[in-house]
Amino acid sequence: MDKLQAFFQTAPVDPTQAGHALWLIIALPLLGAFICGVFGKIIGRANTNLVAISSVLGSFLLSLLVFWTINDFRATSPSPFGGVAYAVGADFGTWFHAGSFKVNFGLMADHLSGTMLLVITGVGFLIHVYAAEYMSHDKGYWRFFAYLNLFVGAMLTLVLADSLPLLFVGWEGVGLCSYLLIGFWYDDPQKAFAGRKAFITNRIGDFGFLIASFLLVLLVESLVARPQSAPGGHVSAAYTAAIAEKGPLAFSVLEETARNLPDLLDEKIVTGPLSGTSYGVALTIIMLLFMLGAAGKSAQIPLYVWLPDAMAGPTPVSALIHAATMVTSGIYLFCRVSYLLVLSPTAMIVVALIGASTAFVAALIAFTQKGIKKILAYSTVSQLGLMFLGLGVGAFWAAFLHVVTHAFFKACLFLGAGSVMHGNADEEDVTKLGGLRKEMPITWATFLVSTLAITGIVPLSGFFSKDAILHAAHTQHIAGYHALQTLAWVLGTLTAAGTAFYMMRAYLLTFEGERSKEAKTPHAHESAAAMTGPLVVLAVLAVIALVHGLPIMHIQRGGVTVTQTLMENFLDPVFRTTNELIARRQYLELPKEHASMAGPWLQAWIIAIVSGGIAFFLYRRYLPAKGSFPGWIEPFRKFSFNKFFVDEVYEFFIIRPLGLFSRALHKVVDSIFIDGMAVHGTAWLTARTGAVLRYLQTGDAQMYAAVMALAASGGLVWAIFKVMP
Amino acid sequence: MNSVFDSRILNLVIFFPLLVGALVVFLPKDEKGQIRAVTLAGMIGSFLTTVWAWSRFDIHSPIEFQLEYRLQWLSDVGISYHVGVDGLSVALVLLTGVLGPMVVLSSWTFVQERVKEFHLALLVLQTAMFGAFTSIDTMLFFMFFEAVLVPMYLLIGVWGSEERQKAAVKFFLYTMVGSVLMLLALFAVYFLSAPAGARSFDYSTMYNGLMGASRELAGYLKANPDGNGVGLTPVAFALFRYGPWLFLAFSLAFAIKVPMFPLHTWLPDAHVQAPVAGSIVLAGVMLKLGTYGFWRFAVPLFPVAARQYQLMFAVLAVIGIVYGALMCLAQRDIKKLIAYSSVSHLGFCMLGIFAFTPEGATGSAYQMLNHGVSTGALFLLFGMIYERRHARLMSDYGGIARVMPVYAAFFLIVTFSSIAVPGTNGFVGEFLVLLGSFKSTLPLWLSVTAATGVILGAAYMLWMVQKVFFGQVTHQENLGLSDLNKRELAAALPFIILIAVMGLRPQPFLDVLNTSTERYVARAMYASGDGPADDRQVRVLVRQLPRPTVAAAAAVPSMMPGPTPDGLPRPARAMMVKPLQPLQPTLQPGQAQVLP
Repeated sequence: MDKLQAFFQTAPVDPTQAGHALWLIIALPLLGAFICGVFGKIIGRANTNLVAISSVLGSFLLSLLVFWTINDFRATSPSPFGGVAYAVGADFGTWFHAGSFKVNFGLMADHLSGTMLLVITGVGFLIHVYAAEYMSHDKGYWRFFAYLNLFVGAMLTLVLADSLPLLFVGWEGVGLCSYLLIGFWYDDPQKAFAGRKAFITNRIGDFGFLIASFLLVLLVESLVARPQSAPGGHVSAAYTAAIAEKGPLAFSVLEETARNLPDLLDEKIVTGPLSGTSYGVALTIIMLLFMLGAAGKSAQIPLYVWLPDAMAGPTPVSALIHAATMVTSGIYLFCRVSYLLVLSPTAMIVVALIGASTAFVAALIAFTQKGIKKILAYSTVSQLGLMFLGLGVGAFWAAFLHVVTHAFFKACLFLGAGSVMHGNADEEDVTKLGGLRKEMPITWATFLVSTLAITGIVPLSGFFSKDAILHAAHTQHIAGYHALQTLAWVLGTLTAAGTAFYMMRAYLLTFEGERSKEAKTPHAHESAAAMTGPLVVLAVLAVIALVHGLPIMHIQRGGVTVTQTLMENFLDPVFRTTNELIARRQYLELPKEHASMAGPWLQAWIIAIVSGGIAFFLYRRYLPAKGSFPGWIEPFRKFSFNKFFVDEVYEFFIIRPLGLFSRALHKVVDSIFIDGMAVHGTAWLTARTGAVLRYLQTGDAQMYAAVMALAASGGLVWAIFKVMP
Repeated sequence: MNSVFDSRILNLVIFFPLLVGALVVFLPKDEKGQIRAVTLAGMIGSFLTTVWAWSRFDIHSPIEFQLEYRLQWLSDVGISYHVGVDGLSVALVLLTGVLGPMVVLSSWTFVQERVKEFHLALLVLQTAMFGAFTSIDTMLFFMFFEAVLVPMYLLIGVWGSEERQKAAVKFFLYTMVGSVLMLLALFAVYFLSAPAGARSFDYSTMYNGLMGASRELAGYLKANPDGNGVGLTPVAFALFRYGPWLFLAFSLAFAIKVPMFPLHTWLPDAHVQAPVAGSIVLAGVMLKLGTYGFWRFAVPLFPVAARQYQLMFAVLAVIGIVYGALMCLAQRDIKKLIAYSSVSHLGFCMLGIFAFTPEGATGSAYQMLNHGVSTGALFLLFGMIYERRHARLMSDYGGIARVMPVYAAFFLIVTFSSIAVPGTNGFVGEFLVLLGSFKSTLPLWLSVTAATGVILGAAYMLWMVQKVFFGQVTHQENLGLSDLNKRELAAALPFIILIAVMGLRPQPFLDVLNTSTERYVARAMYASGDGPADDRQVRVLVRQLPRPTVAAAAAVPSMMPGPTPDGLPRPARAMMVKPLQPLQPTLQPGQAQVLP
């Protein structure tokens, strides 16, 4: 065992050099995108598939190497503050700098990004393989793979970036690819609209992200400009040097900023545009703005509305982008800047509450949806909400573990849904499917495993990650917000129950029972190996990812043996500063002693079983027997089916008024006031004046002479008066 | 590493298009192909001259105006032929040079009537714009600035669409109004900035002459914000009384050109009626004459007034951003939409200029280049489809991506640049402008409002893209549209490359721009006391006038009142100026005090 451990902890390549190759991981998919996009039509379908798949595979292999390397204790990413342990990184020079602002092309892979790398390229590779088969009849294959590769490149940029602006490149880049892929079948105006909706909703979030970044720059600068005489003294010289070298938004600088802040949170800022507010308030505002950004990308209230519509895109896209990777960027972002989040209890509780309510609302909507992808989409929104709940209560590792396990089982579910649609003439409506268990055995088996995983049945991975979040929400307390946190926890637990219900419903309606009479084809056919293969792999991963959630690591900390789960232990280097700050400010009250997990686990298990059982009873016993639900429940079902009319509310209160307002502005202000009255009015006045003055130009010399004489005598009179005392 | 050519490059840059024009004059009228080919070759040659100028620009040099050339010209009234480039102007010159060949390519088949005159107009326009960006003498600048109007007026009025006459007249009169006021203000500055005998229209004389007075005035206003100006030296007092008016006169001229809200209504009309070439040049280069004017003249000459009106102009800029974007949402005409998007984008430029921070100013300058590239490309691309369909409304299109996939791809990439997706050029500019605005003394809510432009920009552009490119093909006549041909590809591809290069490797450009940014911000802050205390950092140092001719030189020693403020001999015209002296007798002593 020790030998095995030593083997995995010995880097296969020189850890100090590995950072310089990180750009290759991004460059490969980008190259693939370029080849597919420009030459895809010429080189043909098979070659395009080959290029697209192999570029992601290449990235995956490189990511494996990197992942291996960062387990080496010698792996240290260069940083202005003496290096980041268990990480590799490199700085590839300035991107842009002006004034005192600077951004570098700096990449870094630590345990957090390293895990993301594997998820993105691993799941990405599987989905590319799947998509080659799935899109085998589509004429736009080259476009599709160009976008998909581009997406992988952008997502990798997002997780490898070592500064906020570079992260933002990936952040908007994935949004861009999402826009292109949702609207992939642009012939259908609704699909094109869904793409646009996604992009603009994301842009609202990005607006928050940008402002947060700018305010963060101001915060850093006011920290630097703090007078020497102030308590706590000046920031270190290394800090100012790091800002000059890496720019104020590099993560290394931000981490050091967080280390500088704990004692200053109540201090008023005295210099710069932020003067008057305290550091703590400024930080809270910044974090809330980041939450707006994350809400856009990760589909949280109030910006979640784009994700369900995003299902207009091809199913592999839904699996890769709208389940496994892109939508988890928000969680990744907060893990990255967790050291800032834990300094603001207000921001923490807001994040937790937004997450919990999104999770709950989305689960309620998922109860009644008919499209299998729609159900999965709301399920994704709901699961992402749970992750934000985890972030909010400071259980970063649990939220991130859920990102990983969710990536596996949700990708598997989406691909399974795709397989179902593929085998049933693109039928999406679960009420028109049914009985596929026999006809699509592999799809059925993998879908079942994933359903159980997301439902939280022991011993599948989803159980451990979800329960870790709920457990933390229950036991770790955000200072000053106990009541609200209890609410968040209750909502989270209800969501867990709801998840079991709607997932079981989706599974039962699709795979169990009789085949629906409204089915498009009499018999479904199982998909080809290129599609079922990835399903199997993902299902297996959904099971074995449970290892990360097991409390098997016993470490010595301050003389006490602490039991940690594998993931918590693995991410420890990433969250070291965060944990220090938690201990220092006590904004997060951690449980004094580790209670046994058996009780909560049993509780969670019972919730899942009971709720799933209710679904089984309703859809396998009650409904087939009675034919319909009781009347009193129908209004609720309709309300849920119509997504609580949130889209309509947005349409009615924001989009239409904005359109009306701009049209009115154009008609009234621009056309009438400015152009009509001011501009043409001036022209008219000039013309009129000219027309009047024209009558003075009579050409009558005597008249001119008379006027002249009059004026001259007038002047003379004035001069005389002036001269006289 | 000075080369003997350095001082001549700008002359070549400015007059090369005119030389080509002279060649075109001699071509027979009916040889349309020849005319086009010669003009294209000339434009490419002209582009190469700008590249040469760009490559000779030394970012490490302490000299502000490089590649300087100065010649005696109308020295009796204090004018000289004086050209030179700083970081901003050399960048804008390069932008003008880049757009030249594209403009010719874009009109290759579109313009079939009066081909010779059309290309002559383009070449003259090019010379005028180069001249405006490189002039250091304000009168020379003014002449070029006005000279731009004539060919553009003709381009719109002769080769435009249905209502071209009206739009051309509106364009011409609108911009003339501002110019007249600016001319008056120029005269005022001329008399104010130096004592009789030392007066000159040269930028250095004007700036250096007002510098000390501005500083004095700023100090005075700081001490007594409500003071009535008693106790100020005469020049400072004149700035106190009339500085805001002079500043506003300059600003009006440039704000119309930019155009800033609410002076923007000529732009949509002009764009809609202008031929493709006109639109590209108008949006790509001409609007920058406005922002450039603020940067070079309005703000540095009147820093105190600029500070007083900072908030007003920043608010107008932000209104421009939001209002322009909202206008876009109300359009049906694609060209109008792009025109209003220019109002929005130029709002960012103006916000950066009035943030008075290095980030904002650099971002603004970069945004000028970006807007030239991305909006130029939008007009170019739209021109291609307009040539095929002769329709401007969004509803005339739909589903174009199916028929013209390559075209759609190009358009989409340019759209992303226009809405500032990171990785494209637009992002760097917008990011820096907003950052600069946040770091400035402007209120935060204003900057936040400006940032909503990021959302609205995506909203209107993608809306337009969807209407035009996505969905089913709704019009029968759109089914047969051919995709881009080789010429069109050649015209569009450079834009795509520029978008990527300027987005991923912005630093070489920013390095050049930063050299002028530092000076611009220092000059804007100098007078308020927040900038560098040392006036040597802001003083404009230029080459002396070349020695006058022998006959004039003989007259110099007796006429020279002593060393002139900027240390440059101002011979020969003292005699001419002398009679004017009594007009400003009170200024004389004050002047002596202010200026070392």
